[in-house]
Amino acid sequence: MEITSINPQQESLSSEELHHDLDNINQGHTDIIIEEISRGQKLLHRHKMSKPSINIGRGYGNDIILADPHICSEHVKIQLVNGFWQIQDQESINGTFLENPKEKKKPADKHILEDGDIISIGKSQLRIHFVDHPVAETVKFSPFESFINLMRHPIALLISVALFTLVSGTIFYLDKPIEVNFSQLLVPAIGMSLLFSLWPAGIALVSHLTKHDARVLTQLGICFAFFNLMWFSDLLENIVAFNSSSNSVFTVLIAILPIALAFCMLWLNCYIGFHMTAKRRMVVSIGITALLFGGSYLIKYSNKPDFNARPQYNSVLMTPSFLLTPSASVDEFIEDSNKLFDKANKAAVKD
Amino acid sequence: MDFTLICQHLSKIIIGCLMKYIFAFISLLFSLCITAAEQAEEIFAQLTPSLYQIKLIDKASGEKSSIGSGFQITSDGLIATNYHVISSYARHPSKYRMEYLDHQGNTNTLTLESVDVINDLALVKREVTEPMEFFVISSETPHKGEKLFSLGNPHDLGMIVVPGTYNGLKKESFSDRIHFTGSINSGMSGGPVVNKQAKVVGINVATSGNQIGFLVPHDKLVTLFNSYQQSPPDSIKAQMARQLTTSQDELMSALLNSNWESKSLGGKGAIPIIDVPFIRCWGESNADKQDALILTAVANCSLDENTYISSRFFTGSVEIEFRYMQAKELGGNKFYHLYRQQIARAGAGNRAGKDDVSEYQCHHDIVMPNNKAINNKSVFCTRAYKDFPDLYDVLYLGASIDKQQQALVSHFTISGVSQENSMAFTEKFMEAVSWK
Repeated sequence: MEITSINPQQESLSSEELHHDLDNINQGHTDIIIEEISRGQKLLHRHKMSKPSINIGRGYGNDIILADPHICSEHVKIQLVNGFWQIQDQESINGTFLENPKEKKKPADKHILEDGDIISIGKSQLRIHFVDHPVAETVKFSPFESFINLMRHPIALLISVALFTLVSGTIFYLDKPIEVNFSQLLVPAIGMSLLFSLWPAGIALVSHLTKHDARVLTQLGICFAFFNLMWFSDLLENIVAFNSSSNSVFTVLIAILPIALAFCMLWLNCYIGFHMTAKRRMVVSIGITALLFGGSYLIKYSNKPDFNARPQYNSVLMTPSFLLTPSASVDEFIEDSNKLFDKANKAAVKD
Repeated sequence: MDFTLICQHLSKIIIGCLMKYIFAFISLLFSLCITAAEQAEEIFAQLTPSLYQIKLIDKASGEKSSIGSGFQITSDGLIATNYHVISSYARHPSKYRMEYLDHQGNTNTLTLESVDVINDLALVKREVTEPMEFFVISSETPHKGEKLFSLGNPHDLGMIVVPGTYNGLKKESFSDRIHFTGSINSGMSGGPVVNKQAKVVGINVATSGNQIGFLVPHDKLVTLFNSYQQSPPDSIKAQMARQLTTSQDELMSALLNSNWESKSLGGKGAIPIIDVPFIRCWGESNADKQDALILTAVANCSLDENTYISSRFFTGSVEIEFRYMQAKELGGNKFYHLYRQQIARAGAGNRAGKDDVSEYQCHHDIVMPNNKAINNKSVFCTRAYKDFPDLYDVLYLGASIDKQQQALVSHFTISGVSQENSMAFTEKFMEAVSWK
């Protein structure tokens, strides 16, 4: 019954290939994969059927039972006719349609199915695949996998969170101009940790909602590891700012560090939480990083007054033990400062 | 004769004599009062025709935007007033119109002829058809305690005369100011102060309330008038720039050439105190606050006066501040964290806006003076004046970074100074601050 069944596209192939393909087609036609998908084309369920006739509807007697109230009890039948799978609408109330992204959707009754066709019944959509449908290439484990596994370990996670809390507590302590006791520091420090755990929790929630693995612990572990790295980069930035003079280029270089860290964190967030192509992951993480830093820069820029009567200078001070550079002499300082007058003159002329 | 009778007689005679004297004394006082009142009246009547109210009219709204007083000093209509009365016109001649109002209520426009921005004087001119009466400027300075009469139009209430006393020149002042005891109110600015001979000895300029007034000495007006007679300035802006440059040169060379006395701050720091009368210092500390985490001692020195250029632009100020800090039972990290907050917000010492100056340009470095007695994080910032070439506002901040739990902050701002002077001052200042 199957030999005559040739796909329309395959008709043009040469006879040798045809003969070879016939087996495939034969096999492909006996097995059909029907995927229930969401409107966003996300896979909800996948059925592999090996029957020549498949009934789809709301009734319990069907091969594929759908809960959509807009679907009739016996809605549609997919039947193997002369080697082709054909849709037969069972005179349903709301009809069966063929989704086509380029054209308007049209009634699907008597349509011969092709690989990748999407049919809509009621408010649900079904995608049809045959067994020879190509699959994407296998994704290799990234080299970060071991790092990710280490960070999601409960002990590692606990250490990261504790370290984060400790650092934020220390910063609260340093910022307070009056004497404070332990509990006065503990509350804001824990609050800070909870606040920062909203981000990984949010990502886990989103990946859960989009039918991906939530992986809450992994997200938490990665995020807190990076939050701690950010503290470290902050310290590094301070040390550089403290030790450098205005002439130094280090300050610019070190300013890139937090941006790079944020990008890495977002990339890993995407890697853990969502299945997406490497290119897409790159685009998403670069996009969010740009949004984050560009946005904060824009906010700062938009709040900048037209004229600032206050001098903007580097006021970073650290204890003498962080001082690594040799001191300049007063003469050198005066010489460097002399250069400012030209700059000031230019600024006065410019605006 | 009865002894008692004699006594009665004698007492009558004595009382009679006393009464006579008291009466004479009271009548003398009374007559003196009359003469003072008469004098004021006489002076006022005699001088009124040469007194004016000076008004700046905002052209767009047609209403007056500032008022002051002025007095005629030549027969051909030259009127002296304060620079600050007409400053808006001097800065933005297209926006305003200058007018006078005389004692008969006549109004007409004035032209700006010359200014002395340092001594707050201006010469304006009205048109005259025939030679007019004018104020004669005195050739001699008054003596201390001499009675003077200030004339002007306070708060637009009409011309008045205020008697007062000459109390010499203000000591703690770089540019000369007469200390006048008598009420000078706003609106009287630019009005003349005359002696009993109705000759001008000063010009009303400022008040610090409670009968303390300040006058510009008459010789400043004479100087301005003479140089105007010789050659009137071609541009008011260029004239102001010249005056500001000359004045800062005088002030800065006075500061640089004075004795910089090294004093101790908080027992540990050595700071320079410039020994000139016009720089006055004040001190403060929190030694009484038991719960303070950091013991702080502050010494502030500054020039009490500044130069008015417009209501939003002042210059000529000098401010110096030293701060010694010591941690009490506090770790070095926290001490430095709080210390950093202390030095983060240094600002300009004078008021200036976008139209007047550029934004600050700053340089910072770790600097050790030649005596190696301190290691500082030093910041130097400067901004340039837009209308007056080669004048700048400068700011310096030095924060010691070589002691774990002690800090010495040295800071100054100078406004309206040349590059050369500011750098010379900065260099001397940086070398003069150290640990003991």
